Amino acid sequence: MRKVLHVDYSLCIGCETCQGVCEFIHHGKPNIRVYYTVTGIPIPITCRHCEKAPCIEVCPAGAIFRDHDGAVIINPNKCIGCMMCLAVCPFGVPTFDVKLKAMTKCDMCADRRQLGMPPACSEMCPAEAIFFGKPEEVEEEIRRRTAEKIARERISKVSLEGVGKLI
Amino acid sequence: MGGMNFAFHCREKPRPTGKKVAVIGAGPAGLAAAGCLVCQGHEVHVYDKLPEPGGLMLFGIPEFRIPIYRVREGCERLEKAFGVKYFPRTKVCFGNPKENGDEFVEREIDFEEIVRNYDAVLIATGTWNAYVPTIPGSDLEGVFPALEYLFRIKSAKLGYMDWSKVPPVEGKKVIVIGAGHTAVDAALESVNLGAEKVYLSYRRTIHEAPAGAYEINLLQQRGVKWLERTMPVKIIGENERVRAIELVKTRLSEPDETGRRRPVPIEGSNFQIDVDYVVCAVGQMPTPPFSKETGIALDRKGRIVVDSRHMTSREGVFAAGDVVLGPSKVGKAVKDGLYAAESIHYWLMEVKE
Repeated sequence: MRKVLHVDYSLCIGCETCQGVCEFIHHGKPNIRVYYTVTGIPIPITCRHCEKAPCIEVCPAGAIFRDHDGAVIINPNKCIGCMMCLAVCPFGVPTFDVKLKAMTKCDMCADRRQLGMPPACSEMCPAEAIFFGKPEEVEEEIRRRTAEKIARERISKVSLEGVGKLI
Repeated sequence: MGGMNFAFHCREKPRPTGKKVAVIGAGPAGLAAAGCLVCQGHEVHVYDKLPEPGGLMLFGIPEFRIPIYRVREGCERLEKAFGVKYFPRTKVCFGNPKENGDEFVEREIDFEEIVRNYDAVLIATGTWNAYVPTIPGSDLEGVFPALEYLFRIKSAKLGYMDWSKVPPVEGKKVIVIGAGHTAVDAALESVNLGAEKVYLSYRRTIHEAPAGAYEINLLQQRGVKWLERTMPVKIIGENERVRAIELVKTRLSEPDETGRRRPVPIEGSNFQIDVDYVVCAVGQMPTPPFSKETGIALDRKGRIVVDSRHMTSREGVFAAGDVVLGPSKVGKAVKDGLYAAESIHYWLMEVKE
């Protein structure tokens, strides 16, 4: 069943919970990292498990595959460490693991999914900026959150004009 | 899609180990640790002075950043599915003075009693001592530390406090001192509450603002007046209430130990602004659950000193989160809580790392 792990940049508050949790379950090496851009906006960078993944297409060793949930995964035993996946990734995601002598990246918490548990970052994000599930479910949820945000902005605009309190 | 899953490590509660752990403080560090510990089979009791677990995620950070249901449902799941027991409105203390957020305390428990009754203790009490700069007039009515200001707003929204206890800023002029995330939140909440005019004063420029230029620009778009390179000199009162504030302009000189250029007041550049409320977001101090001698070391800034296992200088007492790190952020506290919980588990089960 196709699943997506979607990180919504407009909902992210830059708290770094995703990164902390990911680091904890991956022995000190997070696969999602929050970057503070010069503008001051925090941007979490992680694999987006692209539908037409350039890394799968470019890998000369055929080490990158898609699993039954749609997660793009690097097989460390096949990886030759040429970094071509990093070169073509629009998000700069794959990382060379010196110990493993292979490229690594987010596997959408493959171990957890096998046990029927969602990726840890989506479980713990306090701002609910990370979504996991079937594409239609995730999209529905994003639209619901966006509607809430628009409504809230309208309310606060009204209170800006001194009409009432935002409760 | 539901609440945070603090016990994300396991699907269901495992077989009990028979060990009991007390977590003091139900904020991000305490809850992350509790989730990790219950997944190891330990019995976890969480003590908190507030009426509901969640800490600053519920009682400090505005709802437009962290949805209330996200924290609330997460805490409920920890209780219902994993058997974590909460002791709300319960302050664990040992001679410690009053701090912000004490309004809801109904019971007090001696810290030593907790240590006696549990196999291990985790202190995750955060930084609830917000200070106001010591300038003339800082004791006037209408001067608030930002933490308390935000705390009252959130307490009212959550239904624990009457709106009459929230500073009635509607139609009034508010100045917020500082440019960190707390300052930005205090300014935004003031706008949302219908303040007539909101000022934000910072002693450096927008480029040094800890919250980042983007957040400051957003505030300006929403009508907040940004007063960079200004410092408060005194707060002017009338009948014991704030009437105005006197600021002085600054210039930036040599970088200090943090690498940021030090602001120096420019003599004779003082000016006054009429304001009704002064909200100070200039820092918070750690609040460990003791002040008397307990054999637990604190550093110069009042933070609890821990070793690489997150253990304090007292055997079996661990600490995590902002009470160790100083004011940080939710994710750093969560991460610290997780590592501390892992250490507690190893220590309890005598696992060699």
